[in-house]
Amino acid sequence: MGLFKWAQTKSPWIIHFNTGGCNGCDIELVAALTPRFDLERFGILLEGSPRHADILVVTGPVTLQVKDRLVRVYEQMPEPKHVIAIGTCAISGAPFNECYNVHGGIDTVLPVDAYVPGCPPKPEAIIDGIVKLIQKTKESEGNGKGK
Amino acid sequence: MHAEITSLLAILVFPGVIFLFVLAFFYEWVDRKFFAKLQNRYGPLHTGAHGILQPLADFLKLLSKEDITPFASDKLIFALAPIFYLALPLTTLFVVPILSQTSLITFEGDLIFVLFTFTLIIMTVFLAGWSSISRFSTIGSIRATLQMLGYEIPMGLVTIGPAIAAKSLSISKIVEWQSLHFWIVFLQPLGFAIFTICLLAELQFVPFDIPEAETEIVAGWRTEFSGRKLAVLRLGKDLELVLASALITSLYLGGPQQFWLIPPIITFLVKTTFAVMLLSLLRAVFARFRIDQMLTGTWKYLLPLATFQVILIQLGFGG
Repeated sequence: MGLFKWAQTKSPWIIHFNTGGCNGCDIELVAALTPRFDLERFGILLEGSPRHADILVVTGPVTLQVKDRLVRVYEQMPEPKHVIAIGTCAISGAPFNECYNVHGGIDTVLPVDAYVPGCPPKPEAIIDGIVKLIQKTKESEGNGKGK
Repeated sequence: MHAEITSLLAILVFPGVIFLFVLAFFYEWVDRKFFAKLQNRYGPLHTGAHGILQPLADFLKLLSKEDITPFASDKLIFALAPIFYLALPLTTLFVVPILSQTSLITFEGDLIFVLFTFTLIIMTVFLAGWSSISRFSTIGSIRATLQMLGYEIPMGLVTIGPAIAAKSLSISKIVEWQSLHFWIVFLQPLGFAIFTICLLAELQFVPFDIPEAETEIVAGWRTEFSGRKLAVLRLGKDLELVLASALITSLYLGGPQQFWLIPPIITFLVKTTFAVMLLSLLRAVFARFRIDQMLTGTWKYLLPLATFQVILIQLGFGG
């Protein structure tokens, strides 16, 4: 494992985006950042700007209103970048699937690297999802320098 | 020839550039770890022993990421601003004594030089935000400049205190005077408090993190920076933390002193670590002010108190 790849697995910074969910998953994600679970142990920080972040954490089904904004936020992130879908809505649209104003799950719009099922998933599940994503990065080919 | 190599090594390795970079990463770790302890957390834990390599991992990761320059930005200033932001605190650290009681570069009036570079750092911040042409960066950079109008004058006034006491405008002479008499913090506790508050504002730490208020303006003036430029900006911020703690140490806490067998560099490291912990303690216990509260606060309370401190010295107390 190269030096840069080691650095990437040790410091994944996340940005949180709600595409129109009910806020349940958001509360669980914020709970994962609180002192009880303390994601900073793994070097994970919540960043405000998409330009600083490595992982886009998306909750909620993609509505038609938010679709273009989601793509725009994704495109503003520098390579290499990853997407995690948190919650059943983000995976498939769940009860809102085929609703008149819903486009579908996140993977109908963006390439998703990890899915965390649950309605809402517990903070432990979210941490597990991020750890699996880091494992995937470790095992992937290349020196991790992106494009 | 031999002397030239020694002085070159002093500037490049110890106690020069490389030593200061290591110190910057170390103090970021101390700051994050202590901040986490105060919030009942662990902080960085799994990167190296107790997460000590976390700042290095962040730096390397940002170096390896894509470097985006926004289409609308002023490309030249956008590229130069992070370099200046790194170079200014690094240069200024050469006039602060680290290894012994005299610094690498010393001249009469280097205290004024330090205050001048503090202003230049804020001007660089302003240019960095302004050249991004993003509304968040613009608001952030304007707030940084406004904030400077508040804290800079009290900071300039209280740094007169140690200078009057030591009868010199050179930081090395102030340190030397303190080793012969008292630490200035015992003579001018009010000045020490005001100087610490002003440094919090200079570092944009929490009660005064108005220019990069995350909940309001994304990431403030740093919003548009990514990859290498962000890595350099973060390293510059860490060096600024080193500079702030080194200034607290040398102006008020006696600087690098020899205690019995303990060499000056060790006392310097202990005192600066204490200063960093003091700054992160204040960062943890306060909440952010609004920009108008910050400005009225500094002009109504900090400035009269700083003037009062100077008057006290003139009357013969603490000088």
